[in-house]
Amino acid sequence: MIDTKPRTRETQFVSTREVGLWGRMLQGDRWLIILFLLPTLAFLIFLLWLPFLQGIWMSFHNWPFIGKPKWVGLQNYRDFVTASYFWTTIRATLIYSLSTVFQLGIALIAALALNQKFIPLKGIWWGIMLMPYAMPPVVTGAIWMYLLDPNLGMVTHYLIKLGILSEPIYWASDPTWAKWVITLVVSWTFWPFMFLIILSALQSIPESYYELAEVYGANLWQRFRTVTWPHIRGAVLAAFIIRIVWNLEKIDQPFQLTGGGPGYETSVLSVLTYRFAFLSGDFGMAFTVGIFLIAFMMILMIPFLRRFQILITQAGKRG
Amino acid sequence: MVKISGIQVKNLVKSFQKGTVQACKNVNLDIAEGELMVLLGPSGCGKTTTLRCIAGLESPDNDDAIWIKGRNVTRLPPKDRNLAFVFQDITLFPHLNVRKNISFGLDMRKTCSKEEIDRRVQEAARLLHLEELLDRKPNQLSGGQAQRVALGRAIVMEPDAFLMDEPLANLDAALRIEMRTEIKRIQRKLLTSTIFVTHDQEEALTLGDTIAVMKDGVVQQVGTPYQIYHQPANIFVGTFIGAPPINLFPCSIQSRGTEMIAISDLFYLPIPEAIAKNLSLGSQNLTLGIRPEFVTIGPKLENSFLARVTLIEPLGSRTLIFLEAKGREIRSVVQGEAPVAEGEAVHVTFQMERVFFFDSTGKRI
Amino acid sequence: MAQVTDRSSFVHKTLAYAGLIFVLSLILIPYSYIALTAFKPPGEVFEVEWLPREWSLEAWRYTFKTVEFQKYIFNSFIAGLGAAILSIFIAVPGAYIFGRKQLRGKEIFFYIITVALLFPYVLLIVPITITWIRIGLYDTLPGLWIAYQIFIIPFALWILRGFFAELPPSLEECAMVYGCTQFQAFYRVMLPLARPVIVSLLFMTFLIGWSDFLFSNMLTTGEGPRTASVILYVTAVGGERVEWEVLMVMTLMAGIPPVLLYILAQKQLMKTFAVRRR
Repeated sequence: MIDTKPRTRETQFVSTREVGLWGRMLQGDRWLIILFLLPTLAFLIFLLWLPFLQGIWMSFHNWPFIGKPKWVGLQNYRDFVTASYFWTTIRATLIYSLSTVFQLGIALIAALALNQKFIPLKGIWWGIMLMPYAMPPVVTGAIWMYLLDPNLGMVTHYLIKLGILSEPIYWASDPTWAKWVITLVVSWTFWPFMFLIILSALQSIPESYYELAEVYGANLWQRFRTVTWPHIRGAVLAAFIIRIVWNLEKIDQPFQLTGGGPGYETSVLSVLTYRFAFLSGDFGMAFTVGIFLIAFMMILMIPFLRRFQILITQAGKRG
Repeated sequence: MVKISGIQVKNLVKSFQKGTVQACKNVNLDIAEGELMVLLGPSGCGKTTTLRCIAGLESPDNDDAIWIKGRNVTRLPPKDRNLAFVFQDITLFPHLNVRKNISFGLDMRKTCSKEEIDRRVQEAARLLHLEELLDRKPNQLSGGQAQRVALGRAIVMEPDAFLMDEPLANLDAALRIEMRTEIKRIQRKLLTSTIFVTHDQEEALTLGDTIAVMKDGVVQQVGTPYQIYHQPANIFVGTFIGAPPINLFPCSIQSRGTEMIAISDLFYLPIPEAIAKNLSLGSQNLTLGIRPEFVTIGPKLENSFLARVTLIEPLGSRTLIFLEAKGREIRSVVQGEAPVAEGEAVHVTFQMERVFFFDSTGKRI
Repeated sequence: MAQVTDRSSFVHKTLAYAGLIFVLSLILIPYSYIALTAFKPPGEVFEVEWLPREWSLEAWRYTFKTVEFQKYIFNSFIAGLGAAILSIFIAVPGAYIFGRKQLRGKEIFFYIITVALLFPYVLLIVPITITWIRIGLYDTLPGLWIAYQIFIIPFALWILRGFFAELPPSLEECAMVYGCTQFQAFYRVMLPLARPVIVSLLFMTFLIGWSDFLFSNMLTTGEGPRTASVILYVTAVGGERVEWEVLMVMTLMAGIPPVLLYILAQKQLMKTFAVRRR
């Protein structure tokens, strides 16, 4: 049928180098991959891991804002653990992290309500619900500063008028109230994040599931338990874990509302980091506190880690 | 017959995962200019890998595996091969309208003038009945329309060959048959070499000038649809092609005077001269194969045996009859209505000139 | 039977509306009150009264003329815009590779990014500040742009990777058979397809830059590109007496643009935020 052309004649048209290069590129698209990964790699190295390691290095120093750092070994760590405010700050952090639970509560109510077919004007309510999250935290912080002001704030005024309070609470100087104020203000500000994730999970539930449940006579609570909850559980969990971490580092508002005070009563670990860095210019100590913050986050996340890992590997495999 | 060389695949080897999985083991194919070859095989047989190697989407292990018009293209990037590929999942670019999708290859190539591109798009649109749809986006098209656009995109390239990777697999049954005819008609009109991958034997038989049957990375047989059907190279080809499938019975060969006899617990059959000359006496472990349409049900003859009708399946113009004898199932296809009823005992005869014998390795003798 | 369904649906509706009204009032009462405060004359902010007795633009005049707040609003705008553009150049190519290419160790790499998603960024303020001072990025806009990447890149990689991974696998192959190089396949096919997601990420990064207080406060001085958030903070906690009506004007000026953006981008955001149920 066909003569096979002699090999030597053909090979001279295709140089071996090109052959090798293209062969590899097809298998791995090597150059494109390297080029495209460079920015991401640079980010991971220069903006995350190097600063992180640098921070650990700094925590072994007495490191002023300007001037020469001095090696002090574990002194910063010893100082912090033995400091009078150590347990105060840990307690504050614990209460502060409760805000994730409050956020979940509001987000669930809002998402479930807005996901009902019969609710009109959904777009408008959606826009309003996102307002606290959309605005800069310092803005919402300023708003609550005014509303909660013991002397001229609207909230105090009405609480007294309704007889719930007998006299204004000077929360900024009250250790217990200060903690609850910052926790609640942060909850009020950041719940729409969970709301967005839960709502889109709700919207992805096929209508036929509800119809089926209804045919089998499931009541409202049973429908929630057997259809809604299993479908949004994964999304809720993912959002919850992310928020635990993200809330603990939302310090714009605590810093603005109480400045970490009175004393150290509202100095959650992240606020304390910022206080040391920004107010005292003690960078070594600031990062030492940061290390404790990481440890704290990890301890909080242990119960969820196993489940989170499953979620992530699933997400990884999709790619 | 003199064939003009279109595409040649020579000793193609392609392995994955560092050589642990061999998708293609020494594949050889020869597609003539203007020929429509179907690559047929079960999933995972290496047919798609072979096609992707030809297109340049996979890189073969050996350096001189793919030749187009006498030119070694094994290491050329896909865009320099002048081939057009039609994907299984159709793959139109969602952000471009139909016109831009069709002209995509020409736009990228930048060798055609605007007028020429317009002319070719119009021509392809006419050929594929797409004139009305040129300004739509892909998500406004039905499955059949989208597949026609994908064909159009291939046609305007005026490529050396069309490579089609199960292009009809995602369409519904009626549309699949319609598009099948359309593809063949267009291929006849343009006379462009075409390689069509499918796992559907009916598609293969109706479309192909030649069919290459593959299994486990090896080409089992290349031939015309009639050759593949009536002269299968081995048991695999015999069973893979044909619906309802071929009947197979283990048997051995003995002589009776000058005649050769195929013997099993079921039958005792003299073998016609033409077939017998290839067989040797005393062969054990042979397999006798016969297609259902050559199993006849009728009066008691010399070599017939008794079987019971277990099930009748009307197929429209034909009827499929399941029979059972000594625990074995036998399929028979008759023209028209079933002459028997379920449960009846009947006499079965094999048309011996249509019988295949396969040796113990599965090869046809 | 019918009765049961009716009663359940009445409870259902009541619950839903109650939830909706509860959440809406939680938001609308504070906002409407402060919006009205912005139009009160200085003397009126010390008593709790919804409507101003006398509508006044005094606070607005003061905010524009004396504080020149618009200058800082502009800084916030530029800080957000630059950060947004930069983030796309970093996240899109990387996410494309993670979403579409076979790569040894890809899962580990992706795991690292996910860990970064949970990284307490506030920690990094300390070393970043020191480094920025050392390499001259302190008190500059590019310094802010780069620093803001810490907040968005892990999230952007996560979202974009998911998007790319879900596109049909043969898109680039198809583009390459029809004449594209690897890069053209990315540029001419994948990039246009990703545009909606990219736009919503641009928008989110912009808002991060716009809203940020921590980095801006730490990395800029009064002479540098100070953003509106910092001025707001200073006005709220800085002086002897807080000028509440001015503060409320500032909250409106810094707070309303993002809300408008959110509403404009609503549809797109909903899609981007869709975390698939698993």
